Amino acid sequence: MIGYIARRVAMALPTLLLVGIAVFTLMRLIPGDPAQLMLGDAADADSLARLRERLGLDQALPLQFLRWLTQVVQGDFGHSITNGLAVLPLVWERFQVSAGIVLIAVALAALVAVPAGLLAAWRQNRPLDVIIVAGATLLLSIPSFWLGLLLLLLFGLKLGWLPVVGYVAMGDDFGQGLLYVLLPIITLVMIETGVLTRMSRASAIEVLRLEYVTHARAKGVPEWQVLLRHVLPNAFAPTLTLIGLILGNLLGGIAVLETVFTLPGLGRLLVDAIYARDYPVVQGVMLFTALIYVLINLIVDLCYPIFDPRVAAQ
Amino acid sequence: MVWTWKRYLDPATGWRCLPELDGRGMTKITAVEAPNAKTVVFKLERAAGLFLATMARADCGASAIYHRSSLGPDGKWKEPVGTGPYKLLEWKKGQYVDLQRFDGYASLPGPRDGYTGGKKAEVEKVRFMVIPDEAAAKAALYSGAIDVFPEARSADVAELKANPQAKVDVVPAMGMIALLIQTRDPLLKDARIRKALALALDMPEMASAVTDGLSKPNSSAIPSSSPFYSAVHATGFKRDIAQAKKLLAEAGYAGQPIKMLTNKRYTVCFDAAVLAQAMAAEAGIKIDLEVLDWATQLDRYTKGDYQTMAFTYSARLDPSLSYEMISGPKATQPRKVWDDAFVQTRLAESMQTSDRARRQTLFDELHRKMMDDVPIIVLFNGTDAVGMRKSLTGYKSWAAAKPRLWNVK
Amino acid sequence: MKLRMNALIGGVLIATMLSLALLALVWTPFDPMQLSLRAKLQPPSAAHWLGTDEFGRDVLSRAMAGAATSCLVAGLTVLFAVTTGTLIGVLTGFVRGWADRILMAFNDALLAFPGILLALGVMVVVGANKYGIIIALGLAYAPTVVRVVRGTVLSLREKEYVEASRMIGNPEWLTMWRHVLPNCIAPVAVLTTSMFGWVLLSESALSFLGLGVPPPAPTWGNMLASGRPYMQSAVWLGLVPGLCIALTLLGINLLGDAVRDRLDPRMSRA
Repeated sequence: MIGYIARRVAMALPTLLLVGIAVFTLMRLIPGDPAQLMLGDAADADSLARLRERLGLDQALPLQFLRWLTQVVQGDFGHSITNGLAVLPLVWERFQVSAGIVLIAVALAALVAVPAGLLAAWRQNRPLDVIIVAGATLLLSIPSFWLGLLLLLLFGLKLGWLPVVGYVAMGDDFGQGLLYVLLPIITLVMIETGVLTRMSRASAIEVLRLEYVTHARAKGVPEWQVLLRHVLPNAFAPTLTLIGLILGNLLGGIAVLETVFTLPGLGRLLVDAIYARDYPVVQGVMLFTALIYVLINLIVDLCYPIFDPRVAAQ
Repeated sequence: MVWTWKRYLDPATGWRCLPELDGRGMTKITAVEAPNAKTVVFKLERAAGLFLATMARADCGASAIYHRSSLGPDGKWKEPVGTGPYKLLEWKKGQYVDLQRFDGYASLPGPRDGYTGGKKAEVEKVRFMVIPDEAAAKAALYSGAIDVFPEARSADVAELKANPQAKVDVVPAMGMIALLIQTRDPLLKDARIRKALALALDMPEMASAVTDGLSKPNSSAIPSSSPFYSAVHATGFKRDIAQAKKLLAEAGYAGQPIKMLTNKRYTVCFDAAVLAQAMAAEAGIKIDLEVLDWATQLDRYTKGDYQTMAFTYSARLDPSLSYEMISGPKATQPRKVWDDAFVQTRLAESMQTSDRARRQTLFDELHRKMMDDVPIIVLFNGTDAVGMRKSLTGYKSWAAAKPRLWNVK
Repeated sequence: MKLRMNALIGGVLIATMLSLALLALVWTPFDPMQLSLRAKLQPPSAAHWLGTDEFGRDVLSRAMAGAATSCLVAGLTVLFAVTTGTLIGVLTGFVRGWADRILMAFNDALLAFPGILLALGVMVVVGANKYGIIIALGLAYAPTVVRVVRGTVLSLREKEYVEASRMIGNPEWLTMWRHVLPNCIAPVAVLTTSMFGWVLLSESALSFLGLGVPPPAPTWGNMLASGRPYMQSAVWLGLVPGLCIALTLLGINLLGDAVRDRLDPRMSRA
C-alpha cells in the first residue's frame, strides 16, 4: 500500500516539474514588470533599477529558476513581490478559505444528489424521474457566477439578510463566518447537485439492470434493502470519480465566485497575482494546486476498491 | 525631525525620492539642522523651486516625519510613531488596516486648512478595508458594511446621490486622462495627422460622457485646479471635422488603421478610447482598439511601443512636474511623449526659478507649443468622487485624492 | 417519450440561438457598436426591446452579435480540442514505453495548468482576440479528449479485429485509421456535446475575470462583466447575457442527452 502511494507520488514528480517550468517561463514571457507596476507611471529608470535589484529580478532567468527550485525543495516558496508575505503560509491560508467552501458544498451536494439520482433511476421514465432530471439539467446549465450574482442581489442587497462583502473565518467566529460563506456555498451546492444527480442516476440505472439485482428481488429481498445494500455502493463509484474531477477543477474555477462574493480565496489570489505579475505567488499557487490535484486523484483511486470489488480484484 | 531626514537621506534605506535631493536630481540637501526646538533649517546646494512640492509628493510618502522610537534597537520597524491624530493598531496585509485614535494628539486651533490647523480625531477607530472589486465596494456602501468609498466611479455619482442612505462629495483631482501619440511612428510622425485627430474629437462631449458630467474638458497638461492655470491654458481644441479632413487629405492619409491601446482596469481609459474611436470615425480616421491588461499596457508605455494609447496619469501637484512627466529625451526615456529641445530648456528653467511670473510665462509658452505639436491629446482631469453614508459628517475631499478621516463623525 | 421531449426542447433552444447568431451576421436591429450617449442605460422599451447599455448600445443587437461570437469561439475551440485530442489520444494509445509516458506527463501537466494563466499567456503572444481564446481554451480542453480517446483505444487494442488487421500485415497506422478510429467516434461525440457547454462557460468566466474576447466587441461573457456594476440600477444588463448562456447550455445539455441515448442507450453516462 505504502509502496503504491510512494510510486504514484514519484510518477507525479515529472509532471510537477513540467508545470513549474511552464509557469515560470510563461510568466516571464508575458510583458509587464512587477516593479514597474508597483511604481506606476511616476517611475524613473533609477528607482526601477533599485527595486528590481531588491526583488532579485535583475538576475539571469535560469539562475532565478534554479534559486526558486532549490528554495521550494527546502519548503520555502519565497515571498510575495507585492506585499512581502511568505508565499506558502499565504497560499495555505487562502486555500483553507476556498477548500472549506468547496468541500462543504460538494459534500452537501452529494448528500442531496446521490439519493435523488437513486430515486430517479428507481422510478426511471416515470414523472418523478422526469422532474428530477429536468431539475438537475436546469441547475447545471446556469453559469455559477451569474447565479451567485443573482443570489447576492436578492439576499444581500434587496432583502439585506446576508452580508455583501468581506469575510470572517469560521475559525475566528463561527456565527459571523457562517453568514459570509452561506451564499457562495448555496450557489455551488445548487450547481453541483445538478451535475452529481445526473451521474448518480446514470450509474444507478446501469446497476439496476444487472443480474444480481434482479436475483435479489427474485429472492424476495425488500426493495429498500436492494437499493441501499446493492445498488447504492456500486453506483457510487463513478460518482466518486466525478467528485474527484470536480474538486480538482473547482479549485481553479472558483476564482469567479470569489470575485463575486469577495472571498479571500486561492482562485482570487492567483488572478490578482497574475495581474500584478507577482511571480513567486503565481508559481507557488500553481505548484500547490498541481500537488493537490495529484493528491485528490490518488485518494479517489484508493477509495475506488472500497466501493467496487471488481476494481479491487485488478 | 532631523533624525527622520537623516534617515531619508541615507542611501541604505532606499527612499524613493532620494535621487532628486542628493545631487543627482534637482538639488542636493547639504545639511538639515535644528537650531531650536521649533525651527528646522534645510541647506540646499542650488536653488530649487520645486523643493517643497517634491517633499509633499505622495510617492515619496509625503516625507512623513516619524519618531526614532518607531524603530527597535536593531533598526527594524517596531511600531510607527508619527505626527497625526491616529496610530496604527493592526495591519492585515491584503485585507485591512486598523487605526486607533491617539489621545495625546493636539493640533493648532482653528478651522481645517490642510496643514496643521483644526485636526480632531472624532471617531475612536478607523479601518481601511481592502476591497479589490469596485462593484462589491459600492454594494458594501449601500448595505452599510463600509462608511466611506473613496474611489467611486463617476458613473455611480448619480446613483449614489439618489440613494437615501448615501451622499457624494466631488472635487476636481489633479490627475490627467489623455491620448498619447507616438511621434516616432511612421504614420503619426506627421503633425497634421495628429492635429486632425485632436480636431476630430468633441472634447466637451467626451469629458461629459466619460465622467458623467463631473469633469470639464481640459487640453492643457496642467490640471484645471492648478493656480497656474491661466487663460492661455484654457484655450484648447475645438471640434472641426472639416479642418480635420482637410489636414488628413494634405498629409495623404488613406484610411490606414491606427491602433489605440487601452485597458479595462481604469474605466476612464476604456470609455475614452471607445468614444475617441467613434468620434474619429466621423472625420474618416480609422482607429482599432486593443484592450490589454494594465501591466502589459504599462510595459508598452514604458517602452514607447504603441501608436496611440488611452492613458491616465496620477496627480502632479506642480506644473513643472506635469510637463516633466510627458516630455524628455526619448532615447533615454522612451516613455516620454514629447522630445523637443525647446521644451527641455523651458522646462529646466521653470524648475530652477521660483519667480512666479516668470514660471507662468514659461508654462504659457509650453502650452502653445503643445497645441501646435500635438504629441499628446489631453482630455480632462479626473474628478474624485467619494461616496459615503448620509450619517457621516465633516468629510471633505481634496485635490490629491487621499482620504482624510479626521474631523469626521 | 422522454427522448423526444429532450430532443425537442433542446433542439428548439439550440435552433433559436443558432438562427439568431446566423441572423446577426447579416442583420441586427441596431449596430451593436453604435454609441448613443443620450440613450444610456434605458430599460427595455418599444424602441429597444432589451434596453440599452452604458454606452447607449442596443442590448438585443449586442446579444445577437454575442451569440455569433460565442458560438464561433466555442465551435472552433471544440473543433481544435477534439481534433488534436483525438489524434494524440490514438497515438498514445498505440505507442508504448517511455514515449507514452512522456506524452502523458505533458498531457497531465497541461490538465493541471490553470486556465487563467494559460489564457493570459496565449493571448499575449497571439493577441487579445478570439483566436487567442480559441487556442488557449483548445489547449486547456484537449487533454480531456486525449484521456478519453486513449482509454477507448487501450480497451480496443486487444480486440480481435485489431489483432486480425495486424496479422494480415497492415501497418500500424492503417489499423488505427480503419479500425480503431471509427470506434472512438461514439465516446468522442458524447464528450463533444458536453465540451461545447464547458467551453461556452469557460469563455464567459474568462471574460468575467477580465480576459477573453475584449470589448467593445460583444460576447455574452463580457456583457455580463460590463453589466455587473449596474446590477442595481440597470438589472437587464446582467440578466440578458446570463439568460442567454443558461438557455443555450440547457439546450446543449438536453440535445446532448438525446444524442447520447441514441448512440448508446446502455451507456447513459451524464
